[in-house]
Amino acid sequence: MKKSHIAMLLMFLLVIPATLFFGLRLSGRAYYFTSTLVIVELLIPFLLAFENRKPQARELVVIAVLSALAVAARVVIPIPNFKVIFAVIMLSGIAFGPEAGFLVGAVSAFASNFFYGQGAYTPWQMFAYGAGGMLAGFLFAKGRLPRKPAVMGVFGFLATLLFVGPLLDTCTVFLTLPVIHFQTAWPLYVSGFPVNLSQGTCTFLTMLLFGNPLLEKLDRVKVQYGMTEEQDGL
Amino acid sequence: MRDDAFSKRHPAVNFVFFAGAMICTVVIQHPAYLLAGVLGGGIYYLLLHGRAGLKTVLGWLPVFLVLTGMNPLFNIYGNTVLFRYFGRPYTLEALLYGGAIAAIFVEMLLWFGCYNAVLTSDKFTGLFGNLIPALSLLLVMVLRMIPNLMRKASQISGARSTIGKGTAEQDTTKEKLTEGMTVLGTLTSWALEGSVVTADSMRSRGYGSGKRSSFMIYTMTGLDWGLLAAQAVLLVGMIVLGDRTAAFTPVLNIAPIGGRNLPGFLCYLCYLLIPIALHIKEAIQWRISISKI
Amino acid sequence: MAHFNIENLTFSYAAAKGRHSLENVSLKVEQGEFLVLCGKSGSGKSTLLRHLKTVLTPNGKRTGEILFRGVPLSKVSDREQAEKIGFVMQNPDDQIVTDKVWHELAFGLESLGCDQKTMRARVAEMACYFGIQDWFHRDVCNLSGGQKQLLNLAAIMAMQPEVLILDEPTSQLDPIAASDFLNTVRKINRELGTTVIITEHRLEDIFPYADRAVVMDGGKVIADDAPRNVGKLLYEQHHPMFSAMPTPVRVFYGAEGVGECPLTVRDGRSWLSKAFPQTPQYPAIPAPELSEETAPSALSLKELWFRYEKDSPDILRGVSAEVPKGSLYAILGGNGAGKSTTLKAICGICKPYRGKVTLFGKQIDKYKNRQLFSHCLAMLPQDPKSLFVKKTVREDLEEMTKDKALIEETAATCQITSLLDSHPYDLSGGEQQRAALAKVLLTQPKLLLLDEPTKGIDSFFKETFAEILANLKKQGITIVMVSHDVEFCARYADLVAMFFDGQILTTDTPRRFFGSNSFYTTAAHRMSRHVFDMAVTAEDVIRLYQKNKEAAK
Repeated sequence: MKKSHIAMLLMFLLVIPATLFFGLRLSGRAYYFTSTLVIVELLIPFLLAFENRKPQARELVVIAVLSALAVAARVVIPIPNFKVIFAVIMLSGIAFGPEAGFLVGAVSAFASNFFYGQGAYTPWQMFAYGAGGMLAGFLFAKGRLPRKPAVMGVFGFLATLLFVGPLLDTCTVFLTLPVIHFQTAWPLYVSGFPVNLSQGTCTFLTMLLFGNPLLEKLDRVKVQYGMTEEQDGL
Repeated sequence: MRDDAFSKRHPAVNFVFFAGAMICTVVIQHPAYLLAGVLGGGIYYLLLHGRAGLKTVLGWLPVFLVLTGMNPLFNIYGNTVLFRYFGRPYTLEALLYGGAIAAIFVEMLLWFGCYNAVLTSDKFTGLFGNLIPALSLLLVMVLRMIPNLMRKASQISGARSTIGKGTAEQDTTKEKLTEGMTVLGTLTSWALEGSVVTADSMRSRGYGSGKRSSFMIYTMTGLDWGLLAAQAVLLVGMIVLGDRTAAFTPVLNIAPIGGRNLPGFLCYLCYLLIPIALHIKEAIQWRISISKI
Repeated sequence: MAHFNIENLTFSYAAAKGRHSLENVSLKVEQGEFLVLCGKSGSGKSTLLRHLKTVLTPNGKRTGEILFRGVPLSKVSDREQAEKIGFVMQNPDDQIVTDKVWHELAFGLESLGCDQKTMRARVAEMACYFGIQDWFHRDVCNLSGGQKQLLNLAAIMAMQPEVLILDEPTSQLDPIAASDFLNTVRKINRELGTTVIITEHRLEDIFPYADRAVVMDGGKVIADDAPRNVGKLLYEQHHPMFSAMPTPVRVFYGAEGVGECPLTVRDGRSWLSKAFPQTPQYPAIPAPELSEETAPSALSLKELWFRYEKDSPDILRGVSAEVPKGSLYAILGGNGAGKSTTLKAICGICKPYRGKVTLFGKQIDKYKNRQLFSHCLAMLPQDPKSLFVKKTVREDLEEMTKDKALIEETAATCQITSLLDSHPYDLSGGEQQRAALAKVLLTQPKLLLLDEPTKGIDSFFKETFAEILANLKKQGITIVMVSHDVEFCARYADLVAMFFDGQILTTDTPRRFFGSNSFYTTAAHRMSRHVFDMAVTAEDVIRLYQKNKEAAK
């Protein structure tokens, strides 16, 4: 078993439950602290797996370019508040697999916050974006889902609306609510819904229009790098 | 950012300080500690951001009030009923508790505002370059590419507008979207094309040929070690030397900070004042040395 | 022992269907040598250079051997190659990996796993040697192109390589930055004894100082000798590469001069002095009478003032110009002088706060935006890549119009018919330039703006490009170009304007413009100005030389 896999298992089986157990007993209700700690613990094994693999130059470069593209893409669309970042992250996952998707998501969230400000939400964003990319990579791997624009579009819409968006709303819940139960939390999720809906629509449209072109461009670059499907490092 | 003495310290000192301050902020709900945090974070924030910072801070005041006032609407525990609405109680304890949570929220905004000004990207990667070399290199590369891509994006839109292809204000959303996607596609091709060269350049300079080391542009000075030690001692002092119990509902149960608990609180206060003290000390020294010229 | 010993290297790319990119190349490079490799685009120069470092070697079929210090290159570890063989590539931007100057300097050392102490010392040393101290802490995105390329060089020199390989390092730089860069390379060779292997378009700056020049054509080495002999050989063979030789060489052979062939402007001057000890009988080419004053203006700029932000300094400070219809009008000037901003003001992208732009007799704000860029005005951007949005050149052209016949015709004008089905990124720099031009021309402009059109393309592509421009002029298109390229403007422009300090200072015909300058002028004029009047191109000098020699007989 690889070192990174052991770390991952340990994290899931021991550290996270322990954090929850002690966190809930710690000084009243440190919800935000405990939940964020769990998020960070979820991030660590994935990041370490990449770190320990000692990635090759082209792997680093491809992930870096896609992450930078995800961040920079916001200036490209001349429509205010049109977010392309989720679509680029998910497409990275579709093209290069779950791990790359996760990394592109986590890194682009972190990097973009160097320009727009880090905050209490940073770990949550990293995790939510990363999970979105990973989910895309997982569902579209080995032809589980066809790489058709419409399928990718619908996936992007649902994943943003029902998964990435609510995950980010959860951060707000933990950060701002003193008492957390269904009654207090639902207004926050409901108020987050329109934002998630609009971002889901953006993701849908981007996937529909830009999905295939991006995948084609990535295929072209794979040839240039001399990467073939079998020896693919990513 | 202004000339700030604390920002000039080693990133490890900066990072440990902010990590300590932020963790204490989210974990400790004791009103005195929260007040200390708001003061420490607030003063340092203003020192860093000046007049513009004051505006931002004042803008957070309504957020604080709304978050505070909202809590009793959901949280009906508490013995002291201030008034009733539709038969539901609005209690003092819940209001205070809301105030505590809102204070934590604002404090986090303050500390992150300081963090963003002090721990710039190069400090962050400089700090973690040794610990997580691949990831910090990845981050450095992304930070290098983002401004580059943004410039290329504006070159592309500019070039397209001079052949009659760009967008204008009066275009429909659909037209804008199609044009945006075209630009994004061009940008992607261009970026990927460049990335092949970047990968070559990395390998040509020995990336992947063996174990990497990490160049540290920042070196720890005596002052840095001293500060790091002081931070550790103060944090431990705070934990050991004081009771910070604070329960709000149903009955207020807040440990007094006088007497036995005072040293712990003072430790925390001193800890939070470290950047401010450094800043003021340097400002005074600067005045003195200027006056000598 | 020879540093590199290439023996019978033959290579073809995997996708090339057996066509050889290198054929039987044998070459020896001695320690400390300064070797210039010349040849047209596609002659195999870059392919050969890339074979000198294993990690950069392209995929394909290969026979023959490359020895590095007597050891087959494939047996030399990647680490040793990284350390000892430095490689600088063409694009200044894409080679940079990290976001800070200091980090970039250290990148190679980090890869070699150097310790802190060594890294500190080396980085400091490099920063001083290359004059980087002042921008050591800067973000790389705020550097100029010249600074970026210098940083790339310094980052490689930090690893203390024995051999420095440079693949067209200055093609993306302006002339001043380029000659600074090449001087630094010479300094490295001279002061440190580092072996240098370089390919360059800009031979004027480097050819005379090389120990050896190697010329490649069609994947073969066709000349390998001292620069002076190579010049002679190319002349005798009537080889097209001869036109890329430095001006003094072309003048010498073109005029069938006697004595030793001059390589530099200095030698050229003394050669001419010897040839004409007294003032020659015909010191100047008879200037044609100026009659074009009558041509109506296509574009007129009146007192343009512009600044980017409310409280930033003025970039344009009263720019005025009249561009006659059907002419090629070149605006020359240094970096950041506001040349490109002037183009933007003509396009209406920058709105001057004072002054008027009049296009074909109509003020520019009277045009509706789309009207302006269809059948009227179009601009070729500096980087042609910003115009390619599709998978083939043809599809890109089809984005502009549905008229197939027009596409074919324009493609023929731009000489890209055979490239229509290629991916735009698979073309060479000069081909990309022409493909982009075709796309721009499909808007059927009457006024064409060109932003640094000769940047990054070699002398052959420049000639083709000039031909295309001449054709466009015949069709009645007016061309305004912004350029650094003194030689190109001297040969092909009808009017040259000098841009300085936010305004256009002088406008004149190239002959009178360059003929009255003594620094900012062509190599031919610098070389001949003490003997002839206003001879600004190599052809001018040759004509005058021969005319006077005949008269003397």
